[in-house]
Amino acid sequence: MALADFVADLDALADAAQQAFASVADAAALEEARVEYTGAKAGKLKAAQQGLGKVDKADKPAAGKKFNEVKTAVEAALEAAQQRLAGSAKTQAREAFDPTLPGRPFRLGHLHPVTQTIADMKDIMGRLGFTAVEGPEIEDEWHNFEALNIPAIHPARDPLDNFYLATATTLAPGSSNRGPSPAKGPAAAAREEKPLLLRSQTSTVQIRVMESTPPPVRIISLGRVYRPDTADATHYPMFHQIEGLLIDRGVTMADLKSVLRLFCQSYFGKDEVHIRFRPSFFPFTEPSVEVDMNWQGGWMEMGGAGMVDPNVLRAVGYDPEEVTGFAFGLGVERVCMRQHGITDIRALYENDVRFLSQF
Amino acid sequence: MIVSLDWLRDYVALTMPSAELADRFALSGLNFESASDEAIDLEVTSNRPDCLGHIGVAREVGVLYDLPICIPAAEVAAKGPKIETLTSVTIEAPELCPRYTARLIRGVKIGPSPAWLADRLRTLGIAVINNVVDVTNYVMFECGQPLHAFDFAKLAGGKIIVRASKPGEKFTAINHQEYELAAGTCVIADAEKPVAVAGVMGGEHSEVTAATVDVLLESAAFEPLSVRTTARRHHLHSPSSYRFERGVDVSALDWASRRACELILQLAGGTLAAGSVDVGAAKSQAAREVVKLRWAQLPRVLGIDVPVETVQKILTALGCEETHICDHCIKVLPPSWRADLTREIDLIEEVARIYGYDQIPEDSNVKMAASTRTRLDRVLDRVRAMLVAAGFDEAMTLSAVDETLVDAIQPWSDEAPLRASTAVLRRADCLRQTLVPSLLTARRHNEKLSNPTIELFEIANVYLPIAGEIPQQKRLLAITSGGGFLELKGILEALVARIAPSQDLQVGEVDYPLLDDARQCRLRLGEHTLGYLGELSKAGRERFELRGGSTVAEIDVELLIAAAELAPTATPLSQYPPVGRDVNIVVNESIRWAEVERLVSEAGGELIESIQFQETYRDAQRLGAGKKSLLFTLQLRSATATLTNEEADGVRERIVTILAQQVGGELRA
Repeated sequence: MALADFVADLDALADAAQQAFASVADAAALEEARVEYTGAKAGKLKAAQQGLGKVDKADKPAAGKKFNEVKTAVEAALEAAQQRLAGSAKTQAREAFDPTLPGRPFRLGHLHPVTQTIADMKDIMGRLGFTAVEGPEIEDEWHNFEALNIPAIHPARDPLDNFYLATATTLAPGSSNRGPSPAKGPAAAAREEKPLLLRSQTSTVQIRVMESTPPPVRIISLGRVYRPDTADATHYPMFHQIEGLLIDRGVTMADLKSVLRLFCQSYFGKDEVHIRFRPSFFPFTEPSVEVDMNWQGGWMEMGGAGMVDPNVLRAVGYDPEEVTGFAFGLGVERVCMRQHGITDIRALYENDVRFLSQF
Repeated sequence: MIVSLDWLRDYVALTMPSAELADRFALSGLNFESASDEAIDLEVTSNRPDCLGHIGVAREVGVLYDLPICIPAAEVAAKGPKIETLTSVTIEAPELCPRYTARLIRGVKIGPSPAWLADRLRTLGIAVINNVVDVTNYVMFECGQPLHAFDFAKLAGGKIIVRASKPGEKFTAINHQEYELAAGTCVIADAEKPVAVAGVMGGEHSEVTAATVDVLLESAAFEPLSVRTTARRHHLHSPSSYRFERGVDVSALDWASRRACELILQLAGGTLAAGSVDVGAAKSQAAREVVKLRWAQLPRVLGIDVPVETVQKILTALGCEETHICDHCIKVLPPSWRADLTREIDLIEEVARIYGYDQIPEDSNVKMAASTRTRLDRVLDRVRAMLVAAGFDEAMTLSAVDETLVDAIQPWSDEAPLRASTAVLRRADCLRQTLVPSLLTARRHNEKLSNPTIELFEIANVYLPIAGEIPQQKRLLAITSGGGFLELKGILEALVARIAPSQDLQVGEVDYPLLDDARQCRLRLGEHTLGYLGELSKAGRERFELRGGSTVAEIDVELLIAAAELAPTATPLSQYPPVGRDVNIVVNESIRWAEVERLVSEAGGELIESIQFQETYRDAQRLGAGKKSLLFTLQLRSATATLTNEEADGVRERIVTILAQQVGGELRA
């Protein structure tokens, strides 16, 4: 066979094979074309290789070279076709799965925002060495008033400013004139018929702790408190308080200011925190102050604080000549509302799950 | 207390802008609510009644700015006959009225007040009436002492008797309303009837009118608690009652009386009777005790030193009279208008307040101390985390409920609930004994809002009465779920497993009409009742107006806390493979799974790793009526060897035999 014929046949084979591979649309057609052209037994390439033997001896090197070129080209076309088809399978698979679909719903509940605020505060105060304590929400006048240096004539004792219990006593609220006499301890007093009320402050717990623990005392008391306010956007008859108390030898107002600064620094995550005291009046602390912290160029009210009044220390059996102490109180709702941009305190107690699920 | 700056200038030379003054006030104890060029509205704390008059505020300015104070001498010329010849005052209730003074001016000419006086009262928001009444108001806002002017001609017998009211006694006030006074109310009476409710309101009959000629002027002190009680009872709050409630300066009664007479004579003419009637037990300043301030106490309380001269200067400027000073202490006699200064700590506060709290550092070396997280907090954190993971939102509901909710379910006490004497909110005056009704109310609220998923829990206290004592406060966890009985039970089992893994949640019987007859149970932990669980009955749903069903549970958290294993001990794990065996056993309907499980567990012994319930199957034709088949899977494993099939089959056969003997169980083919 003349070299030219052989070459021409090979060229034709290469063209046909490339065209065939390029046009296959699926795996079955590809396999058919593969068998037709590169099949090991009856493929056209195999037949062409057999044609090599019939070429003149002198032309064999050139013919062999040409055959190898064509074989490489055909195999490349096959491979290209294989890749092309594999690619489209991946595309189809990708099309058939939509990763933008929503995940299978997983319902996670939400802690109440007030719980979260309390947890943050407890956490920070814990790091500052204050242990959290709780106590009864229904109290006697000794713990809610008298031990806190709030005598019977004090306006805070007014029955209209407190939720006295109607069934717990036959005495008219406020009719008790019992003073905190040392001969009549709280235990003896508890046996008497006497007015009970929903506590108006968590300082009651501080009294209970001090009555049962010798100094030093380093606690935060927290929980629900109750005052007869008409419910509106900023008032609710039930709210939460957190109060800190530190009693030890040598505790000063500078310690109070410093602890409050550390607390605010931690809570608000700010570097430049300053605390400002403004004089105020609370029966159970003296000196008494309102606490402000610097906030957006001005001052933000945080709560009330002061040095524990010597009368309070005496009422729980501490010696004011031995120990001093400070106390502070923060309204949890106020901080919580500011933190989350809640504008109506009533939303906190409405329990609309759409509201709760935001926190 | 609204302070007119123009008025204030009568006593002290104000040079600073009002905004600056207001800020200075705020930092020294008189918070301001608003400040304009004409007036500052000051918030006066209840311990500082001395600042309920312009002179008191002027004194503060004097102390803060080191300025002299000029107070009118209030000298009056008494040209009339001696007052004793014209009238008398008797205090029959000394416990209600410690001191009462009266002056008498005859022949006044009632008319309008001059503009300067009327303007000052209007700045304070006080109604202008006539020259005599306006003067009494003016002097009250000048010095803080409330005064009252009576039309002397209307006083029967021409005399004053201060007494407690009689039962059923009636009184018509200057607001033309008639009040029935509670017995024991402090009244100012003439020979016949009450003419004023002491410190609270004057009477219509004796008020100063255009026809008044002779005026009896009262300047007195009344018992604060009595005034407050009366003002509250009759809703008669006034600037006068406000001041008496906080206590007036008995040493200044006479000054206020003279000052008012001075102004009345000036504005309304008339002749002042000579002298005054001054009765009552309360004595003036002389009775006051000196107060000692030890130098060492200042740094001990404040954490800073204040120079001796500064302390002296502050206390003197405040009106204290220094009676002693040495290396150890200073002793002072506080001024009569500062009844709040009786103790060392009171003086320390005064020094700190004027010296400035900004002098106290905010970076002291506070001692370190270890704090502990209480068991309560650690357990509650786990409970909350678990419930949140289970898809529950935490609710917070009011501690009191409406009376109508009380008998919805009473799992913890049969006693009548404690009641607040006034409702905490709307009609809610019963202190709750269970949280479930509150949660179901919250559920209804959410249903009304068309919220599709309502899964709520709350952890709060309930209050169980104990006769004669502070009630028992019990901390409960309550849940309301839209899921069924077994779903919520599964959550509670997981909760117990999380908190107290070695305890089993068991069930007992209970019968609450709020809950479905069959789908309710008592929950037990060991010997103790942990709480209850159940689906709402139809009646329960109707009672709470719920469209959808709900399963509720309530748990005594204190029991969980007591049972909590906060640091569980690790158990060694077997290295050998497990073998599974299914058992399908047919028993009577009345046989409970718990019984089957117990028998399986006992029969299987220690090789049983777990018994997993799969399903209950009922088919009257195949199994027979009143029968059910229980399918469960055993997982067996040995700690010491690989179990053979024969050993596993042996265990299974033992179980099947025991179930046949004990509960009549038949293996289902």
